[in-house]
Amino acid sequence: MKINVQNSISASFTTDLSKEKIILETKNVDLCYVPQVRTLTNVSIQIPEKKVTAFIGPSGCGKSTLLRCFNRMNDLIPGISIKGLITIDGIDIYSPETKLEELRKKVGMVFQKSNPFPMGIWENVAFGPKVNGIREKAELDEMVESALIQADLWKEVKDRLNNSALDLSGGQQQRLCIARALANKPEIILMDEPASALDPISTNKIEETIDELRENYTIIIVTHNMQQAARVSDYTAFMMIGEMIEFNATSKLFTNPEKKLTEDYITGRFG
Amino acid sequence: MNKIITFWKKGDSYILLTAGGLLFSLAMVIFMISIILIKGFGSFYVSDVAEIKMKDNTIYLAEILEKEEVVLQSESGKSYKQEQTNIKIANRDIFDQDFKWINSQEISKIEYPQNVTVFERWEYGNLIAYVRNLNYNGKVYLTSDKDFWDTFSRAFEKSEENKSEKENLEEELNDVLSPVSEIQREIALMEINFSWKTKEIEKLKQEEGTLQAEINFQIEQLNKKIEQKVIENSEIYAIVQSGDGTEITLELEKVYRFCRPNDMNFIAKSGLYLTKIWEYLVEDPRESNTEGGVFPAIFGTVMMVILMSIAVVPFGVLAALYLNEYAKQGFVTRLIRLAIANLAGVPSIVYGIFGLGFFIYFLGGTIDQLLFSSKLPEPTFGTGGILWASLTLALLTLPVVVVATEEGILAVPKANKDGALALGATKWQMIRKIVLPNAMPGILTGVILAISRGAGEVAPLMITGVVKLAPTLPFDTSFPFLHLDRKFMHLGFHIYDVGFQSPNVEASLPMVYTTALLLIFIVITLNLSAIFLRNYLRKKFKTSAF
Repeated sequence: MKINVQNSISASFTTDLSKEKIILETKNVDLCYVPQVRTLTNVSIQIPEKKVTAFIGPSGCGKSTLLRCFNRMNDLIPGISIKGLITIDGIDIYSPETKLEELRKKVGMVFQKSNPFPMGIWENVAFGPKVNGIREKAELDEMVESALIQADLWKEVKDRLNNSALDLSGGQQQRLCIARALANKPEIILMDEPASALDPISTNKIEETIDELRENYTIIIVTHNMQQAARVSDYTAFMMIGEMIEFNATSKLFTNPEKKLTEDYITGRFG
Repeated sequence: MNKIITFWKKGDSYILLTAGGLLFSLAMVIFMISIILIKGFGSFYVSDVAEIKMKDNTIYLAEILEKEEVVLQSESGKSYKQEQTNIKIANRDIFDQDFKWINSQEISKIEYPQNVTVFERWEYGNLIAYVRNLNYNGKVYLTSDKDFWDTFSRAFEKSEENKSEKENLEEELNDVLSPVSEIQREIALMEINFSWKTKEIEKLKQEEGTLQAEINFQIEQLNKKIEQKVIENSEIYAIVQSGDGTEITLELEKVYRFCRPNDMNFIAKSGLYLTKIWEYLVEDPRESNTEGGVFPAIFGTVMMVILMSIAVVPFGVLAALYLNEYAKQGFVTRLIRLAIANLAGVPSIVYGIFGLGFFIYFLGGTIDQLLFSSKLPEPTFGTGGILWASLTLALLTLPVVVVATEEGILAVPKANKDGALALGATKWQMIRKIVLPNAMPGILTGVILAISRGAGEVAPLMITGVVKLAPTLPFDTSFPFLHLDRKFMHLGFHIYDVGFQSPNVEASLPMVYTTALLLIFIVITLNLSAIFLRNYLRKKFKTSAF
């Protein structure tokens, strides 16, 4: 079927966030990887604190790109240009005063493919605290343990903390990456399709972990899997071709979407 | 017709072709290695000495080496075949040459007499002869005497002892004389440079006089002792008779080692064989490098390779890191990469010339003027030395290290780099903790390639510090221990020098093979150790298996 995107630009949606405290906010963000070719167009969104927000949408819609704006991982790509405003706790993260390392400590990230470093499990989890200047072994031990417990991995690995992280199973590796992000004590955790390469049981484990983390952390998760978004998230944003089509409470978005495009997507008429 | 087309399409013939290519290459390598192995290890073997009687009654005492058919022309112009035998007659001082080709048909009898003795001498190569008698302690011992060979060994040991004592005394004499010669040098320098300071020169001359007077007695005493040793040793000699009947008086101090190969059993021969290998590895060369050991050359080669690695690795790794991690990728970096790849193909002698011009004349000359001006015009760093040779080779191998390191860096998964950055690591922390450890196998590959190339390189060394005989090692017990300005010996140059520059090429041929073997062995050892290190690191940093 043909999608008339042009119509959707002018159309706006209503999101009730009155009960939430907003931690992250974007205003009119435009992003080009290549000059004149927009990957994100005029994206404005408010992310509530200590909730799980899911980004869904078809491949190439810019949801991962948007996610990577939040910890400025996109900065690494040569030739990129970003316009608009992104604030965390009211502070512009792209202002020259913002320290990149501080930001990334505050905004942790879990990647699509688990990427444990080729070192021991302990070393992996302690990597973040170490590069951020914590030297004392006892303090590090404590942080590693608490991070692993939060990521539901402590029981499985507590006896072999010095073994190579690469000997863990795929699901364990991904949970290790979550623990590694948690060890930095971040406020926000960005998850870029964290379960897309895992089997259903491991996926389930990850989702449980997310469920336990929602009390203490703001989680933004990009997913291809609409059921997963429905299961784990409080709020869901639907994106298409670089635009924010609809952002709403998950229950509302999946049962009573405001936009026809959203409805078409979640009912599987395209995408 | 169709069948032929299918045959070519299927490509069975190419399997044969490719296998043949591999087989040919392997065969060539194995052939080369085995020749070097056989000839190299064979040269230490103690072969029996034959007494060859010719039909015209000439007698040779010699080792029989090989037989060969040659085509000769008779007086009438007819060509005919003749088998010739190559024998090592030794006794260079009598026969002018060590080797001789004799007509095999002319041999009437070959015997292996028990009492032939082979003397390895400090000079003039081997002497093969019958011992007639021994003069020792003023007495004459005959071979028929009881325990003659025990006495002979004792006499030999005594002469060796005297010799080393004499050498010690000479050293002592040198030490005593050195303050005087230093003052003399100072006076000479003053007279050239500051001839108007007559007062000071006068003062120095006075000092010299008093010193001379002080040590005169000591010098006299030492000279007396030395003379005594010389006389003592001249009275220890044996009368020996060579194959053709010439009688020779052989002072035992001229002998390095003697043995009677025909009288030795297998175990004794094996023992001597191992001793010879050991000596080859740990002793200094003798007789313009054609005899003795190659220890200085081994030492020089290994030390130069180590210095080269120390110089080349940091620079290569830093350059590759900047090129890959910091530099903006584009036309310039592409150009630099191309230049580096091309540098690897520049002939090594060009690097040698550059090393001579830049390192030795420019850098070395400047260092001499700034730090060692008192020694000028005698150069310290302004002449070839192990430092400049190592740096020249470092330059030569730099492209190899840069390229291999780059490959190692590129092999580091981007996911890991991103992961580190996402945890708040700075770029340098990411490079140090993620990129460098993971790129280590690549870096070591570069080191391995650099060692392989550097250790075997000769041409650039010849003009930057290698000599055929270095009096001292570049590393010893005298302060400051590491003497980077010293010239050194190198196995590759040793092969060239012994094999092609020595006055007695045929006698030194075994040395060429053994040295080639040793050089190959050292390169392989250096490489293997680097390879083991790399494999260990690879196992440690194996990339994520998902």
